[in-house]
Amino acid sequence: MMVSRSAKPVVLYLTRELYVTFFLLIGVSLVVFAVLYSAPGDPLAAVFGGQVLSDAQREEMMRNLGISNTWYGQYWSWLVKLFNGDFGTSLRSGQPVLGEVTKLAKNTFYLTFGAMFFSLMIALPIAIYLAKRGTDRLGWVLMMFAYTTSAVPLFWSAYIVIYIYTRFFNTLPIGLATGESMNFTQMMLPVFMLGLGSGIISETVRFLRDEISRVFSEDYVRTARAKGVSVWKHALTEALIIPVSEMIASKIPFVIGGAIIVEQIFNWPGIGRMAWQAAQDRDYPVIMCITLVTALIVRLTSLLQKTLYVIVNPRASQETKTS
Amino acid sequence: MTQYAQTQTTVSEYSELSILQRTDKRDIAYVVYGIVILLMVVCAYLMAIFGWLPHDPEEMQLELMLAGPGAPGHLLGTDFMGRDTLPRLILVIKAYFVPGLMYIAVAILLGGIFGILSGYYGNKYETVVTYITNIIDSFPRLILMLLVVAAFKPDIYYIMMVLGVTNAPLVSQLIKGKISMLRQKNFVESAIALGIPDARIIFKHILWFNCRSYLIIQATLGMGEAILLESALSYLGFGVQEPTPSWGNMVQQGANYLLQGQLWSSTIPAMAIMFTVLGFYLLGDGLNNMLEGKRQS
Amino acid sequence: MNNSPLLKIEELRTYFYSRTKQAFIRSVDGVDLEVNKGDTLGIVGESGSGKSVSMLSIMGLIAARPGIITGQVWYQQEQARINLLAGLQDHVQVSKNDGRIMSVEKTDLAWQRRLEKNMLGIRGKEIAMIFQNPKSAMNPFFTIGHQIVENITRHTQYKSRKEAKERALYWLERVKIDSPQLRFYNYPYGLSGGMCQRAMIATALSSEAKLLIADEPTTGLDATIQARIADLLEELRAQTGVTIVLISHDMGVIGRLSNKIAVMYGGRVMESGPAQAVIDHADGKSHPYTEALLKSIPREDNMSSQGHLNSIDGEVLDTINVPRGCRFASRCQRINKSIEKMCLNEEPPLATVSDGHKIRCWHFAGV
Ligand SMILES: Nc1ncnc2c1ncn2[C@@H]1O[C@H](COP(=O)(O)OP(=O)(O)O)[C@@H](O)[C@H]1O
Ligand SMILES: [Mg+2]
Repeated sequence: MMVSRSAKPVVLYLTRELYVTFFLLIGVSLVVFAVLYSAPGDPLAAVFGGQVLSDAQREEMMRNLGISNTWYGQYWSWLVKLFNGDFGTSLRSGQPVLGEVTKLAKNTFYLTFGAMFFSLMIALPIAIYLAKRGTDRLGWVLMMFAYTTSAVPLFWSAYIVIYIYTRFFNTLPIGLATGESMNFTQMMLPVFMLGLGSGIISETVRFLRDEISRVFSEDYVRTARAKGVSVWKHALTEALIIPVSEMIASKIPFVIGGAIIVEQIFNWPGIGRMAWQAAQDRDYPVIMCITLVTALIVRLTSLLQKTLYVIVNPRASQETKTS
Repeated sequence: MTQYAQTQTTVSEYSELSILQRTDKRDIAYVVYGIVILLMVVCAYLMAIFGWLPHDPEEMQLELMLAGPGAPGHLLGTDFMGRDTLPRLILVIKAYFVPGLMYIAVAILLGGIFGILSGYYGNKYETVVTYITNIIDSFPRLILMLLVVAAFKPDIYYIMMVLGVTNAPLVSQLIKGKISMLRQKNFVESAIALGIPDARIIFKHILWFNCRSYLIIQATLGMGEAILLESALSYLGFGVQEPTPSWGNMVQQGANYLLQGQLWSSTIPAMAIMFTVLGFYLLGDGLNNMLEGKRQS
Repeated sequence: MNNSPLLKIEELRTYFYSRTKQAFIRSVDGVDLEVNKGDTLGIVGESGSGKSVSMLSIMGLIAARPGIITGQVWYQQEQARINLLAGLQDHVQVSKNDGRIMSVEKTDLAWQRRLEKNMLGIRGKEIAMIFQNPKSAMNPFFTIGHQIVENITRHTQYKSRKEAKERALYWLERVKIDSPQLRFYNYPYGLSGGMCQRAMIATALSSEAKLLIADEPTTGLDATIQARIADLLEELRAQTGVTIVLISHDMGVIGRLSNKIAVMYGGRVMESGPAQAVIDHADGKSHPYTEALLKSIPREDNMSSQGHLNSIDGEVLDTINVPRGCRFASRCQRINKSIEKMCLNEEPPLATVSDGHKIRCWHFAGV
């Protein structure tokens, strides 16, 4: 039932969250800057002006660009560059980094959120089963399955799956790298693999199981039962919507991490594989850009989750402390 | 089907059961399995240190490459260069033992400081700590590790450092939660009122008496996660560098031959990863249920 | 209409299995009660005596896994008389030792399914329930209006949204909530405790159930609000003719609202009968426990000489270690040499002492 609720606290709350996100992103940039600044071999200079060979060249370049020698001066120049969308040029391809990264980020986005969906499709029924029936024999088997998916190294199980696939279909489930279009199974295989193997299933199962059984023993769910109306309808928001969205927001970094491996194995053209390549080449601008972009994705997911939380929870905007 | 029975025949004289009696049998099994794995790890470490290896890890037997387990003279088979797998698996533990301990130390130290600052000293610090931990949580760990490894060098200590720092928010949250629980019971306030010095309250009463089992559990769970992440990193080629073996790069080397049907040389190290990680996970969860009590549904 | 009681509880036992102690907690241990149409039955007893659990048991609201319920609960519908616990015994195997459960094998799932089946058309429609702590008992994610409307469309003939809303507003008015039009759209967190309890009463009554179980409806509210809620319940009962089972540990509230009273202790009914007999001792007979409860009502004549309020000495019975004799024996003031042996060794029967007045005490067992 739609309700006329004063929109003001909600807007205030979200505005605040927006500020928080902004300051967190500043913090994120500081961390990345600190790593680049303190590393040997001058990665920062590479970001500012491409491959630099000697100290003298570096001095010269920094002077030409009008960048001071202090760390905060350099940080400021760097930040201004970022805000102008200038993340430097790739040492490898010579192309502007941001364009390349955003082009591939889309593919990684599909992969990670698709995988997240698969993970939840597996974890959710198990969690509900465990919450409702306890750890009986089947429950125990399901729990063990969840543990095992989180313990098996993805970089082995992915190969095994490819091996089985080639045995059955006599072709490799990899096509995009060679420019061929992939069929649906070929697309789904990496997504499914990442969903199964990113290691988040067992924790998701445990968290959701505990939340569901907690909510089902809440007074208001007992009231719903006493009224003879649908219990799930009453428990849905707190037992599923809120914890599932929390889980998505807090586990997305793990799935992105797993995406590096899956992209590498399946030749999925995303920023995970790009990061791996860049780390090998010491292509600082690229790896820096990818770190910032993934952190941005994480923060935005979290912001989205907070928004959903205020929308479904009428008390949220009253709560003074958050995050 | 659930069964319930009164164990005492005279109902009027029951006694509290010991922790082993009242823990779920499965949790005990988890803990036992975890401890066995832990002992195996320690044994392997000692073996590697004292050089009691069952086979020379470097000796190549080119006529016997990629052999499966049970090949003559090679209990767990050989790798793509005909080197025996078992001693190489054991050597890995030597390379990771001390860095692993350092990782736990960093996570608990940093997390402990964060947790105490925000839980014990309250509001002002809480905002700062929340800010810092949220920043740390923004990075996908593997990406952050790639950044650090690319910027510095692929060194196991750097990797473990990053792991430790990225695990600190979780530890901090646990300690903070525990402290606020103790505060609700007026435990902390009454201790302060009794004039016990802060340091003693924090270290003895909060950390030692009340967070000890939490920290052990966290260390165990965190260890499983660390093994997985590090092996992923060494699979990608950024972990411990050759010639020191690591489970991750052993799987990677074997995987090159996997599609040709040579399953064993990658599967054996993969199984080593799986059983060890599972051991740590189950140990952590079993201990958790045993010491902290399962949440009653 | 026939004369059989609306609700008749026979030998109700609800046990919880405690894993840590490997023993049964006998929260309700053989309760017999009758509620006639139009009555208000007050169930009174110290907290922990099994009042809530016994009422939750008949509604099938006990957490399924460790709960074991046996006995019969007869509910009189328009035509038929049905047992709310029917068929549950098929899914549990209970081995007993002189009336007490010693071990149990239970098929949880089938048991729960059967329970839900029995309760279909009973919960909400026939029996409604209101709880203590209205703020946590109302769903914080739905508006008050929605929670009432949901009940109305589900259980009454007002199926359309518009009708149901009108009806909900009508009930909000009946429970004297100010500006119902506004409250209809409020969430529970925006309301005071008393207001929330009114909303919950409106929700419960809106389904036009025949029996209302009120579990400590006034506990936890401010004293002045308690009185108002009690008045409201009395008023609504008089107007709608709904039968009420009122649970409270507060003798004052019980005495004020009920015409029948049952006193519970340690999972058992110690005394039951008409209010005049139980509270005012119309027949001159009373249970020592009831007497002690009455003495602890905060009133001027219940103050001790030092100016303290009387209280019952000793602890509430631990329902794992139930004594062989009378459950109240260890705290009883009226125990004396002549019956002591009986009190300590054998549980007294619930004996009828005068018309409808029953007492479980060796003092009256011979009558
Ligand atoms: N789910 C449960 N598990 C174990 N014991 C319970 C449970 N619910 C109630 N009990 C026990 O049953 C006894 C009676 O409780 P209750 O009926 O709530 O008392 P009251 O008379 O105050 O309403 C208490 O001692 C309580 O500890
Ligand atoms: Mg109660």
